[in-house]
Amino acid sequence: MLEIKDLHVSVGGKEILKGLNLSIGAGEVHAIMGPNGSGKSTLSYTLAGRVGYDVTGGSIIYKGEDLTALPTDARAAKGIFLAMQYPVEIPGVTTINFFKTALNSQRRARGESDLDAVSVLRLVRGKAAALKVPEEMLKRALNVGFSGGEKKRLEILQMALFEPSLAILDETDSGLDIDALKLVADGVNALRAPDRAMLVITHYQRLLNYIVPDRVHVLSAGRIIKDGGKELAHELEAKGYEQIIKDAA
Amino acid sequence: MTTRAASPNPFLEDFAAHAAELPGVGQPWLDARRADAIKLVRAQGIPHRRIEDWKYTDLRSALEGTNDPGKAPSVARLRNAVEQGIEVFEFKGDAPKWVVDGFGVIGIDGTMSAASFALAQSTIALHVPANAKPAKPLEYEFSGQTRLLIVVEAGAAVTLLETPIGGDDSFSNAGIEIVLYEGAKLNHIRTASNAASAIVLEDLTVQVASAAQYRAHFMSTGTKLSRTELHVTLEGKGAEAHVSGVSVLGDGRHADVTTHIVHAAADTRSTQLFKDIAGGHSRGVYQGKITVAEGADGSDSRQTAKGLLLGVHAEIDLKPELEIYADDVKCAHGAAVGDLDVESLFYLGSRGIPEAEARALLMRAFLGDAVDEIENADIRASVWSKVEAALAKATEAKP
Ligand SMILES: Nc1ncnc2c1ncn2[C@@H]1O[C@H](COP(=O)(O)OP(=O)(O)OP(=O)(O)O)[C@@H](O)[C@H]1O
Ligand SMILES: [Mg+2]
Repeated sequence: MLEIKDLHVSVGGKEILKGLNLSIGAGEVHAIMGPNGSGKSTLSYTLAGRVGYDVTGGSIIYKGEDLTALPTDARAAKGIFLAMQYPVEIPGVTTINFFKTALNSQRRARGESDLDAVSVLRLVRGKAAALKVPEEMLKRALNVGFSGGEKKRLEILQMALFEPSLAILDETDSGLDIDALKLVADGVNALRAPDRAMLVITHYQRLLNYIVPDRVHVLSAGRIIKDGGKELAHELEAKGYEQIIKDAA
Repeated sequence: MTTRAASPNPFLEDFAAHAAELPGVGQPWLDARRADAIKLVRAQGIPHRRIEDWKYTDLRSALEGTNDPGKAPSVARLRNAVEQGIEVFEFKGDAPKWVVDGFGVIGIDGTMSAASFALAQSTIALHVPANAKPAKPLEYEFSGQTRLLIVVEAGAAVTLLETPIGGDDSFSNAGIEIVLYEGAKLNHIRTASNAASAIVLEDLTVQVASAAQYRAHFMSTGTKLSRTELHVTLEGKGAEAHVSGVSVLGDGRHADVTTHIVHAAADTRSTQLFKDIAGGHSRGVYQGKITVAEGADGSDSRQTAKGLLLGVHAEIDLKPELEIYADDVKCAHGAAVGDLDVESLFYLGSRGIPEAEARALLMRAFLGDAVDEIENADIRASVWSKVEAALAKATEAKP
């Protein structure tokens, strides 16, 4: 599904990712953990194709196709979804209208016909209820004045709506209360499927109790320095990054 | 070969040529007011960029090399029939008292308002009787030098839709006086001129009595040079003015909105919300002065102006100004110019929305609250469709 080889990425002229390798197969869930500033969000932005995240070396192959030249919206249309660490507030655009515009943009790119407002609302309603996103929130401006946890739930609602092939969750668990964490995990688990892959970025082993990963990777200073199974998350929690990084050196 | 000295002021020539044909000529009160107005035009000359108020809008330069403004046909007319006892006076025969009391009384202070008063060959005065609430808006259109007086009696409520109709290379200078008596309400919507190379000037003076309300929305796509100047006096207790506007400017367009709202009485309220988007080589200007006069205690005034630049050759100048001479006054004002937010563009893109569409979405969102100030849903929808068309034009210019 996703094959990243020797990836080098610079932001504002500064190299952040320094030869990153990562391979995720269809149907798999991988977790990335790593200290603040190690490059986790940089990796997620790079996968989503954010302008200013310059790939200076290596390759990103997604479903057999090199992504690096594709613009952001084209990647989304091909099934890549990023739940952002800091969802953006957009005043003046209602959440439901944004959903409709995004859904139809992706449908158009795939050669499918537009959904009308009623169909979109019907589609959103069921999924919103499952995530306990109140309908009133859908009428408000996108993310404006939403609490930290509400923003994160809305990201997962979008994931449920767009049904991506590759979902990247960048610290979706931070800011969630315990109940919301379970709701979000249920939402993510419901989407687990043989033709779908997920990359879960987190600081906390707790999330991985609910979303059990096939592989865990440790990112440090722009490189994956250690890989393992789900037990690696426990080891990290026990020892801390400093020890693991020392061991790996 | 004969050389003719270039006239420094085409308006004076115009007056000399047409004074005898002006509507209502021979009525002493009107002749006297016109004579005063032309005196003012002569004394002040044509506004240019070294006059503080016209710093961003250089009318003198714009007039050079264009058609003689005096030749612009003067048209001031209503497109629809009036209802509910509204009186229309077109200066045939003796003026009724409400015309004598109102016409040229409050709205002559700058050169351009004086020029429209002294030179308008087309002039209309409208009287809305007390408590009348006509369902249909009054649709007013104009070109050339024109003058309009609207008197709205106590408790009446009326909507004015106003459109400049001069074609390319035309010159328009509209002077409008509005008098709102106790508890009256005027909803005023001005839509844009379609003529890119026209010069369109407008000077509005509004007097608002106690508990009366003036609401206005100015939608502009700019022209070679356009300026809407609004003077509002809230002169009775509890009088209100709510003014909003959007300017969406494509390459080569200029739109200036200059306002002065005077809180002259206690407990008066005013809000202003202006949004400008400038693409290509264009310029948007908002100058907004608020005066809270002595004794206007308990007044509340809010003013927001924001600009969005689509490229490096576009310019937006926002100049809010506040003068306060009263106590216990609430004033809030803010002005900011920026670019489209890259974080937002990325977020929308990451959800599959193509860049051009994401930009359009953000621009509509930027303008939204200002357009939504229009109370009438049909008019709001028609303004939105004009805004959409203007956005398409503004974004097609290379940044
Ligand atoms: N525009 C920029 N210019 C220079 N350095 C940048 C820029 N953006 C990010 N960085 C740096 O890149 C590094 C990696 O940042 P990134 O956000 O990817 O870290 P992270 O692993 O997601 O951290 P966290 O756990 O705190 O979310 C940081 O040191 C950050 O300061
Ligand atoms: Mg991060």
